[in-house]
This record gives sequence, structure tokens and C-alpha cells, in this order.
Amino acid sequence: MLSENDVKVLKAISEGDSDPQSIAEKLGMKVEAVRASADALGEQGIIQVTKSVEEIVSLTEEGTKYAKEGLPERNLFQSLGSGKPMSELKDPAHKIGLGWLRKKGWATIQGGEIKPLNSALKGKDEEILQVLLAGAKSSAELDKKGLADLKSRGLVASSKSKEWRYEITEEGISRIKGTERTITVGISAAIAQGITQISSDLIKNGEWGKESTDNWVKLDGKLYTARPYDVTLAADRIFPGKKHPYQRLIDFMREIMLEMGFVEIKGQIVQSSFWNFDALFQPQDHPAREMQDTFYLDSLADIPDYSRVKEMHECGGAGSAGWGGCWKPEVARQEVLRTHTTGVTIKYLAEHPEPPVKAFGIDRVYRREAIDATHTPEFEQLEGIVMDRDVTFSHLLGILKEFYAKMGFEEVRFRPGYFPYTEPSVEPEVFIDGLGWVELGGAGVFRKEVTAPFGIEHPVLAWGLGVSRVAMLKLGLKDLRLLYQSDIEWLRITPVSIKL
Amino acid sequence: MPVVRLYYEDMERLIGASRDTIMGRLAMMGADIGKRAEEEHVDVEFFPDRPDLYSAEGVARAMQGFLGLKTGLVEYPIVEGPIVLQVEESVKSVRPIIGCAVVRGLSFTSEAIESLMGLQEDLHWGLGRNRRKVAIGVHDLSRVTPPFRYFGEDPDMRKFVPLDFAEEMSMKDIIIRHPKGKGYGHILVGCKRYPLIVDCNDQVLSFPPIINGQLTSVTEETEDLFIDVTGTDGMVHKALNIVVTSLAERGGRIESVLVKRSEGDFISPNLQPSAWTVSVAEANKLIGFDLTAQELAECLERMRFGAIAKGREVRVLVPAYRADIMHSWDIFEDAAKAYGFDRLEARLPRTVTVGRAHPSEVQKAEIREVMAGLGYLETMPFTLTNEKVHFQWMRRSPEGAGAVAVMHPISELHTILRTSLLSSLLEIFAMNQHHPLPQRIFAAGDVVVEKKTRMHLAAAGIHSGANFSEIRSAVDAVLRELAIKAEIVPSQDGALLPGRGGDLLVEGLRIGCFGELHPLVLKSFGLEQPAVGLELEWGEL
Repeated sequence: MLSENDVKVLKAISEGDSDPQSIAEKLGMKVEAVRASADALGEQGIIQVTKSVEEIVSLTEEGTKYAKEGLPERNLFQSLGSGKPMSELKDPAHKIGLGWLRKKGWATIQGGEIKPLNSALKGKDEEILQVLLAGAKSSAELDKKGLADLKSRGLVASSKSKEWRYEITEEGISRIKGTERTITVGISAAIAQGITQISSDLIKNGEWGKESTDNWVKLDGKLYTARPYDVTLAADRIFPGKKHPYQRLIDFMREIMLEMGFVEIKGQIVQSSFWNFDALFQPQDHPAREMQDTFYLDSLADIPDYSRVKEMHECGGAGSAGWGGCWKPEVARQEVLRTHTTGVTIKYLAEHPEPPVKAFGIDRVYRREAIDATHTPEFEQLEGIVMDRDVTFSHLLGILKEFYAKMGFEEVRFRPGYFPYTEPSVEPEVFIDGLGWVELGGAGVFRKEVTAPFGIEHPVLAWGLGVSRVAMLKLGLKDLRLLYQSDIEWLRITPVSIKL
Repeated sequence: MPVVRLYYEDMERLIGASRDTIMGRLAMMGADIGKRAEEEHVDVEFFPDRPDLYSAEGVARAMQGFLGLKTGLVEYPIVEGPIVLQVEESVKSVRPIIGCAVVRGLSFTSEAIESLMGLQEDLHWGLGRNRRKVAIGVHDLSRVTPPFRYFGEDPDMRKFVPLDFAEEMSMKDIIIRHPKGKGYGHILVGCKRYPLIVDCNDQVLSFPPIINGQLTSVTEETEDLFIDVTGTDGMVHKALNIVVTSLAERGGRIESVLVKRSEGDFISPNLQPSAWTVSVAEANKLIGFDLTAQELAECLERMRFGAIAKGREVRVLVPAYRADIMHSWDIFEDAAKAYGFDRLEARLPRTVTVGRAHPSEVQKAEIREVMAGLGYLETMPFTLTNEKVHFQWMRRSPEGAGAVAVMHPISELHTILRTSLLSSLLEIFAMNQHHPLPQRIFAAGDVVVEKKTRMHLAAAGIHSGANFSEIRSAVDAVLRELAIKAEIVPSQDGALLPGRGGDLLVEGLRIGCFGELHPLVLKSFGLEQPAVGLELEWGEL
């Protein structure tokens, strides 16, 4: 059963065209359509389809350089003369060359001197370099050993391309004869013309067969049939525009917080040290404030009335002994890229000291860390606080249990922890199949030294966690960089239905 | 955080409990246990607020209480000793505070030496703020002859053999050439005299906070120690107390030293506990349990406090080696640990509030809906970028752009905060050239201009047929959906091809631009196909 396309393709093949690209060009068809027809012809034994994989090799940037200037060992060899002391090797390229010089047996090293051994005949690798300088070639046309050497040196890169070759069979030749008289073929009725696209004219004016198996339509006295397709064949891949999978996770967590009755808050990326550190009772000489860990800016911020914060640091109050020493406003004015969202939180609390307050934020924070698979200089942090009369540390544990359960972590346990601005402090751990107990975030009750200077009289329960860590668990990521420097294929194939 | 190596056999001997019992409860006392437990030891991280746990001995002391084997305050007897240390005026402007002690009758095993050295290093890091506030020297007492002298010395005058060196060096030379001198010399910058401790024959014990003399280095034969702790504030004495009590846990006998000063002599160390009175009601209110005074006292005894219930209060004696107790809540946290976090009832508070999303997030969600509908994939690039990519490659001027630069970038890739998003999208295209085209991506995120956070949207497309009409249609759709009324005028933006780019003006102010990206821009990013882009500001914090 041949369609109109099949016949056209078959004709082209019978006329000697053997690859899909040229057939497509000749017939004005898509390559994919030519291949589909050819596959169908192949299955019926009308043509023979030969698939082969061809390796195309070309020079890398370094390879091109050597092809033009000569391999380092060749250049080194030519500079040897009757011998050359090792100590004269200054050019780094010569050092690369030395290894190959010996490997190729062109020279040897005796008593710290490089001595030529023979006339160093031009190698296959050098021939290949010259050939490739003119343009990419199929690897089949080149010397195998020479090519392997060049590849191992990173001078040649390869890419694979698939090739199809079509040849007509005896069967095909006889079929061609049968179809030459007419372009209509296929189904029993050779009179019905196969069509691909149903036209508006056919819908409005055509007379369509009514039985469920009927596939014909009459228009203007002609009979047509919609060409049946192999519905099992794969189609072109298309992808919708989508929200980022990581954003999906962030929104999932935002919705949990909103459901639990928290108000979303936001703050500036550039913060004063006052809000980022001092307001949280972080002593001014604390190691966490050092340049190694924090991105400082070369500028000073305006800060609010700091007298009570200064007093708390220097002399204590609200039952605390304080840090002692001298608290300096100019240190507090130094601007930083926020190292956590807690500075935003305490500022919000200072502006809203009346209970009850339930607030949260998910935002980017900055740490001066070298970038690798598990560290990025910026990442998202979730933070939530509850401030009310009579809330306790036990309530904090209750909120954490509820929050993690909504996140899909049913099993949670609590271990003592330490954070500079909370007391008591706790490290929640969640149980994950295959990983066991995983530490996820930190929590605690804001110290009196933090809340008292801002007139916050009731306990503040606080917790936070790194959202990118959750992403690693939920999205199965091995490399955090993928979140920010996205691979478009990953964005395309990660489905919106991914379970978070 | 400081990591303490605990040898199981050593710990079993010090604590008097089995390895399994110890390891089963250690984390609940407040520790991060290393993932890889070795055959003979385990590495455990303790928190920076508990320097008294930075040694095997300190951990053992706490663990004995936590397991209920030995509870309450540990009393360390101090023998009044004959040794005198004189503090001279010359050192007071440089490093005024000193505490010292003698510990006798020690027999060092290799584990004990490792533990002591580890403790010293961890105290230097934490309490000591990298030796600035506290530096500790430990000496073999038998090699020197008291009385000792602590004074400020001329850096060029004095020569001695520093630890781990064979030759005599001047103090100034040590600062320049010795590894510890290079590491910590900055603490003494600007000082005309350097601190020094010598014995009665002028032999050098210590050049704090840099290095000890080779003469008094501790070996497995050492039995009696002289310990000096110098620094700038009261933490000096805490550190001394931590060191001497942990040595006492190893069987050492503490002997006092008389420190003579012009402002008054004192006897060091002082291991008197500090007395606190805490309210049971306040403890219950913070933690959320319901303990009697007696129960609270028992919890605290297990954390090695002295504790006596008195009506609705507990009298607490805080050991002299605890550096973290500055508020009654610090004491309550310890009570909660002793009670067990696993025994606390986790219950939800009754606080009733209504949740509310931030308006900017609501708007961002609308933007995502529109952009996804137009077929764009969302990306979330870094907000940190660099001038080369952000300005030079984009053919834009950094002048007047208001970019915030960080003072000490960690790589040349991340030196400024972005002021716009489009260059980040082009970077993503550059990384994705091996994937099929067309590619269309967008980002809705924060930029920072003149230190203020603003919200931008950028979108870009790359494929062989990318052209002005494609991006103009997208701009129109975005403006329509977001109800932004903008006037479109020809753009002078260097990132766009002249005649193929437009600026978006709202009430005369430029809020964005769009158009075909300039081929020179594309080349800079290594892109070989035409690309179009749009960017606009839609809000600020």
C-alpha cells in the first residue's frame, strides 16, 4: 500500500538518488517525510535501507594552531641541532613537545641533553593535521592510529552523524513499472487520490462516506481518500513555555506558608551590617562577619537610632550580661550583600512589635564561597517567624513538624543546635529513603538580646532552611549550578507534574 | 566549627560507659557527628558556643552528666603554689591581660597530647578570634626557672629559638620568616614593643600571640606544665579555666600562680563558679514543659551545673569553664537538652493569622503565566555578574548604570550585582548551543541599581529566523497583559542593532528596551545565530 509520497520517493530512488537529503531537496519535501516513506518502502522490501554512522572529525582550536605552526615536538626537533641541554627548554610548548619527542623515538635524553636519534620522518598524525586544515573529514578516510593520537591530545574533535543509503530492489523495479501509468496508487480503488491535508473546501462541499470505516470523499466528481498514517510513529518534539522547576518548588513552599497563615515579607539585597549582624546580637569581632565569608561593599548605610543595640552589646540588659567591649557605629554602617534573610525579619519585627506576627520570606542570600557542585555564592533561603504571647519552644517544634509534613517529610526529629541569635536552638532532621536522617535547616527562639532593644516583648519562634538543598532532594539534582545556569534541555524535559 | 577527634577506647576510659551508650546519646547533647566513623575514632563537631567541649576530657565530663553517671558541679582543688609572674608596664598597651597556672603530675599519652593541642587550636579560633583576643602557651615547666616576667620587648633586640626551628631568630625576623609569624603577625602591626614571657635566667618561654620558644616544648616525658594565656579581655581567664580543668580531668593537679601587677596582684586560675538564681516559671514558659523546681534542678545537675531547688526558683552554680552563659535562657536551653528534645511535646500554637502573599510575588506569577503562554522557558540566573559580560559585551557603558560592586570578589565572574537581566539570558544561550533551536527563555527577577532592589523582566529568543517583528509582538503582548502604557521610540542602546531596536518610555522615563541584538554583542557571547530580546522594569521594593 503506497501513498503519494511513497511513490514519489520510490521514483527518486529508482532514478539513482540514494540519500534522504538530496531526495528531499529534489521533491521539495521534508527530510523526515522522505525518511518515513523510505522506511515504509524498506519494510515492504521495495528498497533496501542501509543505515550507517559516520564519524566526522575536525581540528580543535589548538589543533588548528599546530596544523599551521607545526606540532611542538616537530618544532622542538628542528631546534635541537646536534643536541640541546634540557635547561634551555623555556617555552612551555617545548615541554609538551619533549614527551612526544621521546614517545615517537625521535630523540633521547642523555646527561641532561636532548639528542636527536633519527631524521624524524613526517608522521601520519602530521599528515592528518594537514588534511583537516582544509576542512572536516570522515574518520574512515584517515589513518586510525594517527587519528587516535591526535584525539588523545585534544587536537581533533569528532562528531557522529547518521547516514541513510537507499537502493531499489528487484521487487521495487517491478512495482515502479506498475505505478508509472498513474500517480494514484494504494488502496484497492486506484481511482481515489490520497490527500494529506483536509481542505476547507472538502469539509464544506465534499460528500463524505458515512460508515465508521469509510475513508473517502467525493468532490466535483473526483474521489479522494485521506491518506492513513502510521499513528504509532514518533512526531517532532515540541515543548511548552514553562515555569522553572526550582520556581515550582519555591511556589510550593510559599503556598505552604500562606496556608499556615504567614504574611510574605521582602527586603533589600544590599543591607547595612546593622540589620544583617548587629541587630541580631552578632558581636562586631565575630568570625562570621569576616571578609572571607561576607560580600562587603565599599559604602556606608544610614542606620536607625542604635543606642539600645549599642547598650545591649556593650553592657547587656534584659537579664543579659552583654558582650562587653566597645560597639562601633561605623562598623554597623558597613554595607553587605545580605548573608541571610534574618536581617529582613528583625527589621520587620522592629516595625511590627505588637503580637501576633507570623511572617515568612523566600529570597536570595549571598555568601562569599567558591562555586562548585554543592556551593553557590548566592542561593535561596526560606525563613519563617511566629511572635505571640505565650508561644514556647515546644510550639516551635510543633510548627516545624507541621511545616516539614506539608513538605512531604513525614518523619522529623530534633537535635540540639547552635545559632548565634537563638536560644534554645534546634536542628531539625528529616528521614529520607536511601539517605537516612538528613539535617534540613535550623530553628530557635530569638534571644532576648535580639528582641529587647526593639521593644519586642514576646517570644519570637524562628526557623530557616536552604531552599537549594531541598531542590537537590526533591528535583534529584547533583549540581546546584544547574538551577542558575540552566541547561535548556533540562528545563524542557522536566515535566510540570514532577512530584515535589 | 571545631572538630574534635574522639578515640573510643579513650572515651570509654574517661567516661566509664560503653561506646554504644556514648555514641547513642552524643548527638542529643549538641554535636554533629561525622558521617564516616572510623574503626578506632570518630570526628565530632561541637558548636562555637561550647569551647569547653573542644577536648576529649571536656566531652567526657559533659557526657558523664548527660548519661547520669556523675552529676552536679565538678570541684577542682587548687594547690597554692610558689610561682610568681610579674607583669610589667611595658606590655600593657600591647596585650594587657594574662592568666596562668601550673598543672603537675601529668603522664601524657599520644591521645592526650593530641587532645591538648587540638583544644589549644580550637580555643585560638573561637574564643580567641584567631589569637587576637586569646592566645595560649603550654610549656614544660622543668626546662625553665621561675619567677617569670611578662613584658614588652624591643622587636629587634631579643633573639631566641622559636618552636619547630633550630636557629635563633629576632622577634622581628620571626614575624617575617616563621610560618606562625606570617600567619598572626598582623595582630602586632603598629606595636613598638612585642609581648614576651621569660624566666629568671632570661630564657624565652613564649612570644604571645605568635609562638613559644623551642626550649619548653611539650613531649611525652613532660610531667609538669606551665600554662600562659594572654589577650585583650576577660575571655583569657575562661580559656585558661577550660585548659586547666580538662587537664585535671586527665589526673593533673592544678597549682596556682601569683600574678603581680601595679594595679593589684591576683591568684590565677580562679575556678569559682558564678551564682545565678533562675525562675522555674520562666523556664517552663520558654521551653513549654512543666517542671517542678526539683525536676529543673535535676536537669541542670545533669548538665554539670550546681543546682539547688528553692521554692519556685533554682539556685544555679555555673562552672568556671562555661563561656556561653550570659542569660538565664542559656541555662534553660541546657535544662531542655537534659530533659531531652525528643521528649518535648511538639504542638501547634493557637496564634490565628491570615496569610498574605507579597504583591510583587503576585505580579511575578502573572508575568510567568504570560511568558510561559508565549512559549518562553523560565530561567533563574545568578544576580552576581561582572563588568565584562554586563557592560563590555553588551556594548553598554557602566557610567551611570548604578552597579553595586563587591569589595572582595571570590572570582572574576562575580564582581558586581546585575543592573539588568538580558546579558544573563545571552549567557544561558551561550551555554546551550548544543541544544536544538529555536530557544526562547525569560527571567523575572531582582536587579540592583544604586543599591536599591528593582524588579525586571527579560526575554530572549535565538534561531535562524529571529527578527524584530517576533520580539515586537512579544513586547506588545507583555505590555497589554501587564497593563503598562508605554511609548515606543527608536533606541540608542548599544546592545541593539541600530534601526532595529526600541525603547519603552513611561511618562518620559525609560523603563526598558527591545529589538534585534547587535551582531557584535552576539559575537562577544560566542553566539552564531540571530537573537532578539526585551527587558523592562515592572516594580521596585
